[in-house]
Amino acid sequence: MSLLPTQGQGRDYKARFAWVLILAIGTLLILIGRLYYIQIVRGEHYARLSRSNFVKRLDISADRGMILDSRGVIVVDGRPSYDVEITPVFSPDPESTLRRLAEVLELDDEALSAVLARVDAARGLERFRPILVRRDVGRDGLEWLELHSIDFDGVDVRVRPQRHYRYGSHLSHVLGYMNEIGPVELERAREAGLDYRMGDMIGRSGLEERFERWLRGKDGIEQVVVDAKGRRTSLAEDSALIPPDERILPSVPGHNVVLSIDMRLQRIAEEAFPGLAGSIVAVDPRDGFVLAMLSRPTFDPNRLSGRISARELRELAEDPLQPILHRTIQQHYPPGSNFKVVTALAALQTGTVSGPEQGTSCPGGYRLGRRRWRCWRDAGHGFMDLHTSMRHSCDTYYYWVADRMNIDPIAEWARNLGFGRPTGIDLANEIPGIIPDVEWYRAHHPDGYQRGFALNAAIGQGDVNATPIQLVMAYAALANGGTLFRPQLVRRIEDAAGNLIEEFPKEETGRLDVSPETLDILVNSLRAVVHEPGGTAFWRRPRDLDVEIAGKTGTSQVVRIGAVRVRHEDREYHHRNHAMFTAFAPVDDPRIAVAVVHEHGGSGGRDAAPAAFEVIRGFFELEAQDESERAEGSSWPPEGKQSPPGRLLPRVDPEPSSEDHRHASDRSPDRLAPDRLYSEETRG
Amino acid sequence: MLTRTPERRLLSNFNYPLLGVVLVLCTMGLWNLASASRTAHAEVWVNQAWWLTIGMSVAVLLCSFDYRHLLHVAYPAWVLVIVLLVLVLFVGEAHKGAQRWLVLGPVRFQPSELAKIAVVLAMARFYHEDKEPPGGYTLKRIWRPALLLIIPVALVMNQPDLGTAMIILAIGGSLLLFAKVERRTLLALGVIGLGATATAWLFLLKSYQKARVTAFLNPASDALGSGYHSNQSIIAIGSGELGGKGWGEGTQTQLRFLPEQHTDFVFSVWAEEHGFIGSVIVIVLYATFLLMAVAVASQAKERFGVFISVGVAALVFWQVFVNIGMVTGVLPVVGVTLPFLSYGGSSVVTSMAAIGLLLNVSMRRFLF
Repeated sequence: MSLLPTQGQGRDYKARFAWVLILAIGTLLILIGRLYYIQIVRGEHYARLSRSNFVKRLDISADRGMILDSRGVIVVDGRPSYDVEITPVFSPDPESTLRRLAEVLELDDEALSAVLARVDAARGLERFRPILVRRDVGRDGLEWLELHSIDFDGVDVRVRPQRHYRYGSHLSHVLGYMNEIGPVELERAREAGLDYRMGDMIGRSGLEERFERWLRGKDGIEQVVVDAKGRRTSLAEDSALIPPDERILPSVPGHNVVLSIDMRLQRIAEEAFPGLAGSIVAVDPRDGFVLAMLSRPTFDPNRLSGRISARELRELAEDPLQPILHRTIQQHYPPGSNFKVVTALAALQTGTVSGPEQGTSCPGGYRLGRRRWRCWRDAGHGFMDLHTSMRHSCDTYYYWVADRMNIDPIAEWARNLGFGRPTGIDLANEIPGIIPDVEWYRAHHPDGYQRGFALNAAIGQGDVNATPIQLVMAYAALANGGTLFRPQLVRRIEDAAGNLIEEFPKEETGRLDVSPETLDILVNSLRAVVHEPGGTAFWRRPRDLDVEIAGKTGTSQVVRIGAVRVRHEDREYHHRNHAMFTAFAPVDDPRIAVAVVHEHGGSGGRDAAPAAFEVIRGFFELEAQDESERAEGSSWPPEGKQSPPGRLLPRVDPEPSSEDHRHASDRSPDRLAPDRLYSEETRG
Repeated sequence: MLTRTPERRLLSNFNYPLLGVVLVLCTMGLWNLASASRTAHAEVWVNQAWWLTIGMSVAVLLCSFDYRHLLHVAYPAWVLVIVLLVLVLFVGEAHKGAQRWLVLGPVRFQPSELAKIAVVLAMARFYHEDKEPPGGYTLKRIWRPALLLIIPVALVMNQPDLGTAMIILAIGGSLLLFAKVERRTLLALGVIGLGATATAWLFLLKSYQKARVTAFLNPASDALGSGYHSNQSIIAIGSGELGGKGWGEGTQTQLRFLPEQHTDFVFSVWAEEHGFIGSVIVIVLYATFLLMAVAVASQAKERFGVFISVGVAALVFWQVFVNIGMVTGVLPVVGVTLPFLSYGGSSVVTSMAAIGLLLNVSMRRFLF
């Protein structure tokens, strides 16, 4: 007997079964609809997403171009840096691991806690990403790590290219340095369509910055297959899942920058610099290309581009002598007597003096109204004309001409010689200096212009300020017959194989409207400074050098002279006079112009001229040396040809002045002391 | 009534097509697990084959006697399951924050899986004996079968195992509705259900359960957190496109972007490697099974058989719907396995036991 309900209820059940089936099949149809949507309608989209899941783009970083000197010697290139990294997910106890590593890796507390903070902050898949612990670990550290690697799960050493400044602190301000690109810059670079990524290094100052777009190569890409944890699978998977033409896109190395600077001359200049702070710059007066250039104190770009701690960086930034400041272009000085050629030129051109013979008597000063302007020689010079006043650097003569022609002609001829505006050198943040005129005093001085200002300006004091590069370019213009050039540092750009990409021609920025006779008068008076008895540089002249030099000493006051003159040595450092010397040679066919500024150095003849003479002597010795090598048929440098390729035939100076930076610093940790960051070899 | 019958007649009435559909699904499941376990250390599919063998034995065992004997066992079995569910709250083995496992010597099992069958049997017995009111069940009479359902659901929810609790609720709810509910009562139950959902959301659900629901509503919001499973599953399924990436070639599966690929997300493996065509075949097979199960119900000789059959159909249907719904992003991610395809002893044995009951009802449809 069936327990099923009677007929009527049976029909009821049929309806229920029908409902059950309709609902069930209907629901399953919804699922099929959903599957149709994601697999057919949106299938390609999800296929792309699944691809981006397992394809990881690895960057192949491009080699940055080298910086070569005028003869093709490598100045800056790359070397391997051994960086220690920690991967949080593989490190069982990152804190104690890092504390143990800190000692070996010379990690200070600040750096240690910074790394720890990053490790703690890593979440999820980020924990698979290695975190940099210490850049550029030395040989001892590496050996120790290798011995103890078993105790350090999750700690790896990665090799990355590190910029290598072969000459250490030499030429550092010109070369600049590199460090990691910041978030704001990254944004800007991306907007400009440049291919930078987080963690990339970028040129920070100097040529590294200005020539960034040439030096930086184009990174390549390698696409590999990774699993859900971001780990690489196998090469077999790579080739199975990624089309061969998408797997590797090779990198393109950056171009090489070839300087006009000869590192041999640069070293001579670096070694010749006599004091703590100042600048030397030498140019070729025929085309404005720079031959040597330095600023003191200096820094080691290897440190700034690599493993420098926050503390060291702070100390560098807070140093009162401002080692980062590029004094040659970013600091101006009262040019002192170096400026007298400008006043003399203005006097001749305005007819204030009818000729070089017209002059005045120097009783040790010049009286204007109730004030007396002192000549540096209290006893006076007797009768002075243009030639003798230049030779003796007599101030009175210049007070006299300035009083007769006023300040504006001086300012006008200063501007004609390139003062008062940036020279346009290939470096950032060049300052214009100051050339005051009547207008300027009306705007800047509470009492407006006064006659006495012209007297101060005439001897390069008062408010006149010039940068060392302006001084040397002005003297170069006097030397070459009146042409002002834009100073340039880079002769040409070559690709990695040494093929010429771009050559930079000389660039004129102005021409003096002065007769050759007038220029001769000035050049001759500058020659007298060095070669005539009584000349302020006469006693320091390089007697053994068979080259005639024209130049001018400068001893510019930093503070007003009191009633009693105080000896240089008895003054506080910052109250001492700046010693300067600007010169060119040979007088009849100038091939080098050089300016030396020795901050608080004392007197121009004694404390600046010898360095300039060293550079000039070095220049001609090198010239002779190269000449004889050529004559002997030596192939170096090949005449009329480009300097040979860099990377294929890297040429290294036989005895680089700086020893291998990294290992040197590893052996003696005390090199971390801040004052050791500057080059010491020329001190004292 | 319970006369002894010749075995030959029983075998001739055996529902071979139904068993066939189930075996086809199980075989596809094994093949699929073999692909999903290629990268795993353990050979998951071999274990699964053993579980299927055990499940099959349980099914044969459950066919070997007249299911009507189960009328006597239904309530005691329900009580036993309730005891086990209470026990698991105290001595259960915790796994991923939930106490679901009971360990008896070498045997580890989830009482919540047994609860699915126990609820079906107990409610079938209740409706078998209860005389159906003409207009349908009203509140006054529905509370007793409802209690049979609510108690185990509440206990499972407490473990907490939201997915299984919902499945048991859906199975029992299907039976309640099948037994016909009076209209106003239906409305009232609807209101109660909404209220219960709100209460659960506010007071009962754990934060990770809520996170899953929120992630379901907006999966992209937290791609590496709660939404990760769902996102990766949809990518796996979608990237299978029409024909799939091929067996063992699914990148989401093989490179382990797809989570829980042996258990809850096993359908995503299938859909990635066999595409829309493969997915539709699986769903059609489930639909065929449901048709056959309803056919068995319609031929059953008394209400006990009808309710058992409908209960088994509901058990399979709801798990299929919730599982595929969740892996395709239609439903929130709750831990529900896919019958016959997902890896796991409890799931396999429970499903096969349910099939055994269905086959039993089917082969004895002409007996009285």
